[in-house]
Amino acid sequence: MKRPVYIREASAIGPQPVFDTDRLERVEAYTGHPLRSIVPALRRYVDPVRGRRMEKVARIGLGAALNALDRAGGALPEAIIVGTGLGCMESTERFFVPLLHNNEDVPNPTAFIQSTHNNVAGQIALATNCTGYNFTYLHRGISFTSALLDGWMQVGLEGRGTVLVGGAESITPDYYTVQRRSGIWKQHDVPNLEVLKATDGGALCGEGAAFFVLGDGPGPGPAVRVVDVDISFRGGPGSLRDRVHAFLDRHGLSADAIDLLMIGRNGDGPQDTAYAPVETDLPLATHAAFKHLCGEFHTANAFGLWLLWSGLRTGHLPGEAVLHRGARSNMRWGLLVDHFQRKDHSLVLLERCGPEHPDAQALPSGCADQLR
Amino acid sequence: MSDRVVITGMGVISALGVNVEENLRALLEERSGIGDITILPTRHRGVIPVAEVALDDDALGALAAPRSQRSWTRTALLGLCAAKEALAQAGIDPAAARTAFISATTAGGIDKTEPVYDQFYLPEIPDEVAQYLGTHDPGDHAQRIAAELGFNDLVTTISTACSSSANALKLGDRLLRHGLTDVAVVGGTDALCKFTVNGFNSLMILDREPCRPFDRDRAGLNLGEAAAYLVLETEAHARARGAAVLAVVSGHANTNEAFHATASSPDGTGAYEAMRQALAMAQLAPEDISYINVHGTGTLNNDASEGIALTRLFGSAVPPFSSTKSFTGHTLGAAGAVEAVYSVLAIRNEVHFANLRWRTPLAEAALVPVVRTQRGARVRHVLSSSFGFGGNNTSLVLSAPVQQG
Repeated sequence: MKRPVYIREASAIGPQPVFDTDRLERVEAYTGHPLRSIVPALRRYVDPVRGRRMEKVARIGLGAALNALDRAGGALPEAIIVGTGLGCMESTERFFVPLLHNNEDVPNPTAFIQSTHNNVAGQIALATNCTGYNFTYLHRGISFTSALLDGWMQVGLEGRGTVLVGGAESITPDYYTVQRRSGIWKQHDVPNLEVLKATDGGALCGEGAAFFVLGDGPGPGPAVRVVDVDISFRGGPGSLRDRVHAFLDRHGLSADAIDLLMIGRNGDGPQDTAYAPVETDLPLATHAAFKHLCGEFHTANAFGLWLLWSGLRTGHLPGEAVLHRGARSNMRWGLLVDHFQRKDHSLVLLERCGPEHPDAQALPSGCADQLR
Repeated sequence: MSDRVVITGMGVISALGVNVEENLRALLEERSGIGDITILPTRHRGVIPVAEVALDDDALGALAAPRSQRSWTRTALLGLCAAKEALAQAGIDPAAARTAFISATTAGGIDKTEPVYDQFYLPEIPDEVAQYLGTHDPGDHAQRIAAELGFNDLVTTISTACSSSANALKLGDRLLRHGLTDVAVVGGTDALCKFTVNGFNSLMILDREPCRPFDRDRAGLNLGEAAAYLVLETEAHARARGAAVLAVVSGHANTNEAFHATASSPDGTGAYEAMRQALAMAQLAPEDISYINVHGTGTLNNDASEGIALTRLFGSAVPPFSSTKSFTGHTLGAAGAVEAVYSVLAIRNEVHFANLRWRTPLAEAALVPVVRTQRGARVRHVLSSSFGFGGNNTSLVLSAPVQQG
């Protein structure tokens, strides 16, 4: 039995002021990178003493997770599913580097315990007394969408009522250096709001956490449902464009049906070209981007989904997010198209249910319309 | 009635051997793979025993035979060996159908980062070092193996500590039941590395001798390295292409104790619930289980709580059980898949494997494991458990491929 899967509520922490709200009102501009999270006071959710000992990815993950549950009316999850590309890298390094430098004389085991990649999901389970299903995916750019696919299956196909899914990432300075040297980051600083015009390689590095309370019924706010999730390595056997059309076909939708396209452009010129055919095929949709706002990181698409959800739900998107203004102001169908390093590809289809949003504003024209 | 999910291929590499056949022979002959460290460069050589795959990285690379040897970590090479064996047995080309690759690991590719870490930060990085930039994270091995073998659909990696690859099997089964993929290659891989050896050593749970799971006088676990993958598909899909069915996936459950970051609850609630729910999904009663491949790490904490959970679930009639970690050590992210392979071998070869070095029942539960290899045992349903850090518990029920009623 297939049931609709709703996003009851969501919460995000990241380089944009998005905590405990469903809309991004005022976009934060940065001149360099990595872009760092604006960490709100989390006293409500994370004991300050324990919080200080917790590494950032766990702190922002726990904060966003518990805030999302709060916003969903104090929902208790039956399952907790987290995606994180690097997991608890800070604790890993805290144990690992002294070990290498001191002939395997290791510090106390606390850092080792905290380095376990499922630590964030475990912390959320402890905080919510959730003894149900607890999973963590660590697979680079599809870490979060793997969690989303799993949660979508749990609610839509396996009868669970409330499932918490999310992504969290915070890069350490050392690993930032490693990744920069491996060529995935820009070697120089570029203002984040300009980066999508870049033609050279590399992206701006970012971080953040975003969590979603999935449920079998809508939440307190306007209802948005997760229609489907598709993940593929290298975009599948054909092109990304083929993959997108096949995905929409499965739901009887033509490309023209999509109202809002959330695209994973990150300013890495050569890699961004992968999106162009998809954008060309969806001329009626409004095109928006998110990675120039949050930076690129393994679970950036969790923020992308947050922004897509926010746009469908509130009818509002900040002008800085919009690349191309579509033909329709009402938004029902939203599509996230994202890849990481041309390997990990994700497609997510959302639908806003119910009548037109009463205060849907006409979307502002994009700052980057000149891109195409 | 949804179509049953069956196993049609398996591959494993561990301290017991580089393929399924070698692993089976060692198990039958009660030859443990636990011994002194010979390959991992660590000061713990001669002090901490482990279960190493008896091939250095060059020999392992030659065996795994990727198209290019560049950037392959030991974790990825182990995985490639086992994945190739599983695909060959099943006769599956990952590029031909919707074939998911669901892998699992705990340490990922850190093994190759360890020897060169500081060189990552030199002004000029030598090429032999640069090849390992960004191979540390858990997803690296799965992408590398997927690219090598031609996977192009869902490729993902699970990391839930010691239950990781049991959870890969669980996810594969669910995807198939829902018709979201046609074939799922599931399993995990973990190479020995300084990080885990020193980590577990700092927790003071490594036995200085070969481990003694479920023994009153046990003194901890031994670490091992391994990879194992299984090919899953629906029974209809297997039939349609004429593939031989090795076993059936009957049940699985994942629970979380929400008790403590590393320890299991002393009353074994999480373990009990995982086993109970897996049986419920399989629609089996406790007495239907012919053999249990227990988690049985050999630590004081695990074996006590697992023993209590077994007694709670099975009462005075606990089925024959053993911990094959007494052969392979604890292979962490690979353990669930390795033990799933062994469970299928138990079914197919009508055998209960031995729990080596056992002498005295636990103080917490008067349980006697299988102490010598039992041949000629009729094995219909096997329960295999993997319990991890963070109280992440997974149990699987695998069954003989009899015709359904």
